[in-house]
Amino acid sequence: MKLKLTFPILMAALIATIACGRLMSHAQATPRRVEVVAKRFEFTPSEITLKKGEPVILVLTSKDVQHGLKLDAFNQVVIAKKGESSQVEFTPGEAGTFVAQCASFCGAGHGSMKLTVHVTE
Amino acid sequence: MPRAHHVGFIGLSLLLCGCRVSEPSPLERKVVVAAEHDFTVGNRSQKNPLPLTKQTLAAGKEAFGHYCVVCHGLDGQLTGIPFADRMSPPIPSLASKQVQDYSDGQLKWVIDNGLAPSGMPASKGTLSDEEIWSIVHFLRHLPAAGSLGEPDVYSH
Repeated sequence: MKLKLTFPILMAALIATIACGRLMSHAQATPRRVEVVAKRFEFTPSEITLKKGEPVILVLTSKDVQHGLKLDAFNQVVIAKKGESSQVEFTPGEAGTFVAQCASFCGAGHGSMKLTVHVTE
Repeated sequence: MPRAHHVGFIGLSLLLCGCRVSEPSPLERKVVVAAEHDFTVGNRSQKNPLPLTKQTLAAGKEAFGHYCVVCHGLDGQLTGIPFADRMSPPIPSLASKQVQDYSDGQLKWVIDNGLAPSGMPASKGTLSDEEIWSIVHFLRHLPAAGSLGEPDVYSH
């Protein structure tokens, strides 16, 4: 009788452990969403902080003309057409502070339109 | 007419004549070009920090295509630019010795700061440093004259 009860309990515990593990790993793999708004000639926010190894979805929304975001450190480019949003998913593989620039010529201040990206350990 | 009026009239005439665009004399051009190359245009020794790759050249062509083509043409050689020889001084072909004799650092300086006397504007802040250096690569590897057609703005 004792054996008969122990087996189902052990099985239930095993299944629960596996399910929890899967849920946990799924939660870890879900990318964090970071939104950046672009308008002539600034990004809002002007600085973002990401975590090394943590997947991220970077959403760029343009409020006026076409803008882009070029993050050389992670070989990423995203272009948002006039009034639209666009996104790119990546995982920062290196910690540090990097500068992303507008990747689509947008006028007189285009060259100074920058976003600072901090990546923490 | 009082003497002061004579002087004023001559001064005004000179000023009005001076405003008119006319082609600089060969001597004037020679002196200005020599001065630019040897004295006024700085940054002679700076090297291009960007490696020369297909991607860098493509980036240079793209940045050039957004901003520079209206005066220099898609090929940098004035193809389709209606006012190229009507400016004082005329816009030089970027493939010319006058331009190619600049060092990479000087080309960057000219794009950053503009060039007087000419219509070349200062572009620091309008273009990023990386874009300007990629344009310098593009200037060293210009396509054949006329091979890219003319800027849309002059044909629509």
